[in-house]
Amino acid sequence: MKVLVVDDEPQIRRALRTSLEAHDYEVVTVGTGEEGVVGVADLAPDLLLLDLGLPDVDGTEVIRRVRAFSEVPIIVLSVREAQTDKVAALDAGADDYVTKPFAMEELLARARAALRRAQPDEPTQPILRFGSLEIDLARRLVTREGEAVHLTPTEYALLEALVTNPGKLLTHQWLLRRVWGQGYGTETTYLRTYVRMLRKKLGDDASSPALIITEPGVGYRWVAEPAG
Amino acid sequence: MDVVVARAAGRERRWVPTVRSLLIGALVPTVAAVLALAANPLGEASAVAIFMLAVTVAAIWGGLWSGVLAAVGASLALPVLVEPAGGARFEGSRDLIAAVVFLAIAVVLGLVVGNATDERHRAERREREARLLAHLSGTLLGGDLPERALDEFAQLLLEPFGLAACRVEVSLDGTPLRASATRGEGGGPSEVVPIIVGQVPLGTLVAERPVGARPFGRDERQLLEAATRQAAVALDRARLDARARLAQLDAETSQLRAAMFSSVTHDLRTPLASIKAGVTSLLDETAHHDPEQRRELLTTILEETDRLNRLVGNILDLAKIRAGALIPRRTPTAIDEIAEAVVERIRSRAPEVRVELRFAPRLPDAAVDPVQIDQVLTNLLENAVRHSPAGGTVRVHLAQAGRAVRVRVADEGPGIPPEEREKVFEAFYRGGRAPETSGSGLGLTIAKAIVTAHGGRIWVEETTGGGTAVVFDVPIEEAHL
Repeated sequence: MKVLVVDDEPQIRRALRTSLEAHDYEVVTVGTGEEGVVGVADLAPDLLLLDLGLPDVDGTEVIRRVRAFSEVPIIVLSVREAQTDKVAALDAGADDYVTKPFAMEELLARARAALRRAQPDEPTQPILRFGSLEIDLARRLVTREGEAVHLTPTEYALLEALVTNPGKLLTHQWLLRRVWGQGYGTETTYLRTYVRMLRKKLGDDASSPALIITEPGVGYRWVAEPAG
Repeated sequence: MDVVVARAAGRERRWVPTVRSLLIGALVPTVAAVLALAANPLGEASAVAIFMLAVTVAAIWGGLWSGVLAAVGASLALPVLVEPAGGARFEGSRDLIAAVVFLAIAVVLGLVVGNATDERHRAERREREARLLAHLSGTLLGGDLPERALDEFAQLLLEPFGLAACRVEVSLDGTPLRASATRGEGGGPSEVVPIIVGQVPLGTLVAERPVGARPFGRDERQLLEAATRQAAVALDRARLDARARLAQLDAETSQLRAAMFSSVTHDLRTPLASIKAGVTSLLDETAHHDPEQRRELLTTILEETDRLNRLVGNILDLAKIRAGALIPRRTPTAIDEIAEAVVERIRSRAPEVRVELRFAPRLPDAAVDPVQIDQVLTNLLENAVRHSPAGGTVRVHLAQAGRAVRVRVADEGPGIPPEEREKVFEAFYRGGRAPETSGSGLGLTIAKAIVTAHGGRIWVEETTGGGTAVVFDVPIEEAHL
């Protein structure tokens, strides 16, 4: 697995390189946004770790340029923790956002999730199982402990959007457009209501969620690992 | 100011003969008579012509009354000077005709000249008034502080209006503002003019003449009101300016605070990110670090801890400066020795950049706090090294410059555009050409605070190669002067 790291801090580049190499990733590091975009084109990495505060081009712009020609998973690493920065980066096409300082385990877990999602040769299973929860994507059926869970079409569409993007941080805007349609994007109260309904029906506890995690002000993430 | 408007209008005086006009009226025909006598024997026609000329001259020169007096004089003188040519009857009618003609000339010319003079006076007065108002508005709108401008305004009104005292009292957004000017004893006729902008009264202007002076005329009152309107406009502008400045200051302060906040956040988190990534990686039991990798991570952690420590030190220094606790402990100090030590330190820290140190052989000691100057030099050199390209040279040069020791630190970096050269000393300022994550954005701010506390100055110059030179002066130890 080849990882391209774009960060203008030599120390963080070194720390990332060493840590990732210890996990048998092949690591290439560059210090500017331009080199990052060119690097994605030339090296075709499996994962891009991208800092936002770059000396030449802003990281969000780098995401936009990369997305013009590549679907490589992008994880943003930034000290910026404002929701607007996160949303901008995710809406530009980033897959995930990790705030500095971060623990290596967390970054590695996010990286694994992103890489798994990007596996093209692994066909999406028609039936997904998360513990006692079973989702049959072909028949659009959801059962919990063998009992059918009755979902409205909107609730099902929301669930489908989440489970088909496991581990990915999905922004409010993205979810609204995907579930409600192109004309939507700011109606976060709809989303909040439906996520609450979904959690209730699926038996997920909002205070310690095992299925859907809320990223305040940014969006939602499906965190459950599929079983078997 | 040579503008005087306190003068009775010409028109009012026109119907009363002045001494000057009577003198002219008497003098001109006398001269004419003397001329006529001198030219004796004089023909009748010539005599009439001479007196006609005299009346014309008198009327044009002295106005109506001079002309009339000259006409009377000429009428009386003509029969005496010119021998009767053909009988008393004819003589009487001739003199009568001459008298009527003289009088007609005098009156017509006198009135015409009088009107023209009036016009001229009016034009002159208007010009004086315009000049006064222009001068006043120039003073008021000169961008001076409202208090100073108002004082000057009051002062400027004294002479043109013949005032003993002029007082202005206004209230700008609740702030009372007073200005006054005096010239001798007041207590005479006075005039109170309200200062109004739009419908809002801002205050009053009180103009007072000395005891026994004449009261204010209608024209003067109007002019005083016009002058007051100028003051009102200027005050209104000052008020709006003050509001705008306050709003701008507010915006700048909150902007600075926001910049400071994001800067501190960024600067503290960046080294923390490397440290945390390193530590968590070392703690990760699933990772297989070889000894080289462990060493790499530990080195990173160590370096970033130092960096964090320096940053915290800088922030504390800045806090100290802001609290006014930065007082230099001056001792006679050889700055070249400090420079040598700092350069040595920087060389070991940044081997990829060449640091060159040159100084005059007999550099006088400076009256400085050695610890603080060490910090200034360290900050300047760190900056220079950071902005240098790999393999570049940083040149440190020390020399005497008058009563100061001048230190110049020049790099071969990208340089600073002229419009940013002042801003680099502001806290958390980062040049557009500098990498975002380089310094703390405090080095030059601290350097400037220290140099200023020493009574020196610090500035940015361009180098011949397009790089940046930061130069500072600190005073020489007195004993060397």
